[in-house]
Amino acid sequence: MSRVELKDLRKNFGGLEVIKGVDLTVEPGEFCVFVGPSGCGKSTLLRMISGLEEQSSGTIEIGGRDVTRSEPSERGIAMVFQNYALYPHLSVRENIGFGLSLARTPKDEMRRKVETVAETLQLTDYLERKPKALSGGQRQRVAIGRAIVRDPEVFLFDEPLSNLDAALRSQMRIELTELHERLRATMIYVTHDQVEAMTMADKIVVLNGGRIEQVGTPMELYERPATPFVAGFIGSPRMNLFEGDLAREMGCEVYGIRPEHLEVSETEGRWTGRVRHVERLGADTILHLEVEALGPLLARVDGSRTFNPGQTVHATPNTDKEFRY
Amino acid sequence: MRRKSPYPYWFFLPAGAIFLVLFILPTVASFYFSLTYWDPFEARFAGWDNYVQFFSEPFLVRGLTNTLVFAFLTSGLKTVLGLLLAVLLTSGIFAQGFLRSVVFFPVLVSTIGVGLLFQELMHPTEGAINLALAAVGIDGPGWLTNPSLALISVALVDVWRGVGLATLIYIAGLATIGQEYYEAARIDGATRLQQFWRVTVPLVRPATTTVIILSLIGGLRLFDLIWAMTRGGPGFSSDVLASVIYKQYQAGFWGLSTAGNVILFLMIAFIVAPLAWWLNRRELEA
Amino acid sequence: MTRRGYIIGAISLLVAFVVFVIPFLFVAINAMKTAQDASSLDFSLPERWVFWENLVTTVQTRDYALLLAYWNSIVITVCAIALLVVFGAMVGFVIQRRPSRTSRVVYAFILAGLMIPPAVVPTIWVLQGINLFKTLNGMILIQVAYGLGFTVLLYRAFISTIPRELDEAAIIDGAKPWQIFFRVVLPLLKPVTLTIIVVQSITIFNDFTHPLYYLPGRENITVQLTLYNFQSQFVSQMNLLFMNILLITIPPLLVFIFFNRQIVAGMTSGAVKG
Repeated sequence: MSRVELKDLRKNFGGLEVIKGVDLTVEPGEFCVFVGPSGCGKSTLLRMISGLEEQSSGTIEIGGRDVTRSEPSERGIAMVFQNYALYPHLSVRENIGFGLSLARTPKDEMRRKVETVAETLQLTDYLERKPKALSGGQRQRVAIGRAIVRDPEVFLFDEPLSNLDAALRSQMRIELTELHERLRATMIYVTHDQVEAMTMADKIVVLNGGRIEQVGTPMELYERPATPFVAGFIGSPRMNLFEGDLAREMGCEVYGIRPEHLEVSETEGRWTGRVRHVERLGADTILHLEVEALGPLLARVDGSRTFNPGQTVHATPNTDKEFRY
Repeated sequence: MRRKSPYPYWFFLPAGAIFLVLFILPTVASFYFSLTYWDPFEARFAGWDNYVQFFSEPFLVRGLTNTLVFAFLTSGLKTVLGLLLAVLLTSGIFAQGFLRSVVFFPVLVSTIGVGLLFQELMHPTEGAINLALAAVGIDGPGWLTNPSLALISVALVDVWRGVGLATLIYIAGLATIGQEYYEAARIDGATRLQQFWRVTVPLVRPATTTVIILSLIGGLRLFDLIWAMTRGGPGFSSDVLASVIYKQYQAGFWGLSTAGNVILFLMIAFIVAPLAWWLNRRELEA
Repeated sequence: MTRRGYIIGAISLLVAFVVFVIPFLFVAINAMKTAQDASSLDFSLPERWVFWENLVTTVQTRDYALLLAYWNSIVITVCAIALLVVFGAMVGFVIQRRPSRTSRVVYAFILAGLMIPPAVVPTIWVLQGINLFKTLNGMILIQVAYGLGFTVLLYRAFISTIPRELDEAAIIDGAKPWQIFFRVVLPLLKPVTLTIIVVQSITIFNDFTHPLYYLPGRENITVQLTLYNFQSQFVSQMNLLFMNILLITIPPLLVFIFFNRQIVAGMTSGAVKG
C-alpha cells in the first residue's frame, strides 16, 4: 500500500509531446482510474509509471522512493495487460510463478504462494492447463494472479476488460472492486470506458491531449465537471453542450445541460422541438430532439411516458443543474 | 542516464562476429586482392592487369558471356515453366498433390548427383536420351560433347532441377488471388486464356519478381552443376564465371580468381539490384 | 473432379513420370546392376540383382570414406544449425524489437549476404589466418555465415507475430534480456525453427562448392565430395557411382517425406510479399 507521486512528467516521441507535464498524487490504497479518449496519453502515462516507457523529464515516486530511473522490476509494481500477455508455452502454474522462478525463489515457497493465489482466484483446478485451454475470464484471472503473487505496492491495469464480452465485463468489474477491497492495495487502472471509471474508481483522472483535465471522485466529476471536455466525457448519454447564440444569451462561451436535467412537456416549455428518434431503454427513454435555433438535443424521460417521432414537444432545463463555461 | 534497453545490441555479437570475419572481411579484401598478382606465396600490386586480362583473353570473355546467357536462359525458362506448372497444379487435376511433390523433389537432391546422372543420360552414343531418340528415328546430338550445345544442355538440366522451386513459389502466389476475380472475369465473358493473361499474370506479379530474382542470382552464381557435368568443357565452351574462379584458384592464379569474384559480385549488384528495384516499382504502380 | 481434370491429370502424370521419375528409377536400377551390365547405360532391368554387394563395395571404397563423409557432413550440419538457430534468432529478435538505425544497417548487411557471392580465395586467406582452413570447425562457421541471411529473414518475420506484451510482462517479472529471449521468446519460435532446421539441413548437407574450397583433404571429405572423388575411380563401375548417388539422396528424401510442410513454408517465405 503505497503512495504514487508524479511530478511534471513529460514524454516526447520524436518531436511530438504526448504527455505535457503531469502532476498527480495517488493516495495509498486508492483505486485510481485514468480515463480519456484514445490517444489522450493515458496508456503512455501508465507505461511510464511501470517503467516500460521512459519519461523525457519529470520524476516518479512510489512509496516515497524515487523510482524515476529504476528498472520496471524494481519499482514494486505489477501490471495486467489488455491482451493478458500470458506466456503461451507455460502452464497456469508456471505463468503465475514465472517472476518467482526468475528471482530463484525456493520450490516449496513458490508452490505455496502460487497455490494460495490460485485459490483466491478459483484457479486451483486449472493450474496445469495452458492458457489456450482457458476461457477469457479465466485468462484474465491468471493475469491478475500473476500480478498478485508479486505482492506489489501498486497494481497497474491497462484496459484489462476491453477484450471481454459485455456480461463478463460487468462481472469482472465487481470482482476487481472486491479484490481491491480485500487487498487494499494502490491500484491504477486505465480505460477509455467512462462506465468502468464511474463504477470502480475512488478517484478519476480525466486526460485529454496529454494533459490532466480534472481529478476527482466520480460524483465530483459528474456534478462539477471543471471543463466542457469533462462535462461531455463523463455521464451517459452525454451532456448537451452549446456554443454560439444560446451560450452568449446565457452569458458564457459554452452552455451545458445533462439529458436527465431537462423537463419535457407536450404543452409548454422553454425550447420547442420535434422528436426525431425515440430510444427506449425500459426504465428510461432517450429522446433525440431537433430544436429550432439550437440543433440536436438529448433528453432523458421516464420510460412510462410515450413519445412518437415527428411529435412536437417542449423542453425546459433545470436551472440548478446548468453548466456555464 | 538512459536505462538499458531490454533488447541489447550485444545480441548481434556472436552472429555478427562470424559474419564479419568470414563474409564481410573477405568481400572487402577481395577488392584489394583483385588488384594484385597473388599466389600461394606472395601478393604483388598489379593495378588493373587482372581485369584487363578478364576482358581480353577469349576464354575468360567466353566465361563472362556464358554466365549471362546461362543466367537469363535458366531464369526465363524457370519463370515461364514455373508459372505454367503452377497453374496446372492448382487447377484441381487428378493426383495434384503427388505431382507437386514429384516436380519439387529434384530441388532437394544433391546437385552433383543430378549432374553425374545427366552426364550419363546425355552420353552421345550410349546415353538413354539419345537411345530413346534413336528408337523413334531421330539422331540425337552430342549434348555435352558439342561445344555449341554443352552450355545449353547444362542449362536445361538446371531448369529440370530448379523449376520445382519456381513452381512452389508460384503456387503460394496463386493461392493469394481471390476466386472472386476469376468469377468477375467469367461474368464479363473472359475466356480461360483471357483470364490467364488479364487476371493471373498481373496478380501473381510478386511471385514473378521473387522467381526472377532468385533464379537470376542462382544462375549467375552457379558452379556445382556445371562442374559435375562438363567442368567448363569441351575446351572452355561451357565455362562460367564461377568455374573460371575455381580453375584459376586451382592453377595458383589467386589474384585473377579473385578478380573474377569481384566481377561476379558487381554483375549481380548491377543486374539484380536495378531489376529488383524496377520490378518492385512496377508492382506498386499496378 | 471433372472428366477434363482426370484426363489432364493423367497426361500430366505420364509426362511427370517420364521427365522426373524415370531419371531416379534409372539411378536405382543401375545401382543394382553388375559393373559390366551397368556400363551399357541403357534402361533395362538388371541381368543379376546385386544391390547388397554394390552397397557393401561402395561403403568400403577407400577405407570406408563414405562413412567418414557421412560422419563429417552430419557433424557440420548439426553444429552449424545449432549455432544458426540460437545466434540467428537473437539477431532477428533485436532487429524486430528495436527499430533503430543500427538494426536497419545490420539487417541490410545480412540481407546483402543472400545476394553477394562469397569471395572464395580471400575467405581461404582469412581461414588460414585464424587456423581454421581445412578444419571442420572452420567449415561449420562458414555455413553459419552463409546461412545467416535466410535464418534471420525467417526469424524476424515470425517474431513480429509475437506480441510485445509478453516481453513486457517478463520485464516486469524481473527478467533480464537473455531471460526474456531464452525463457519467453525462443520457446515460442518452435514452428519457424523447425522450418529453418529442415531447409538448412538439406542445404548444408547438399553443399558441394564450399567444402570443395574450404575443406580439402581426404580425412575431411563430406558427402557431396564422395561422388566427385569417386568419379574417376568409378568410371568403369557405373553401378557403384549410382549406388553412391542413391545413398546420398536418401537423407533428403526422408526429410522431404516427413517435413514436406516445413519445406514448403520455408522455400516460399517472402514469395508473397516479394
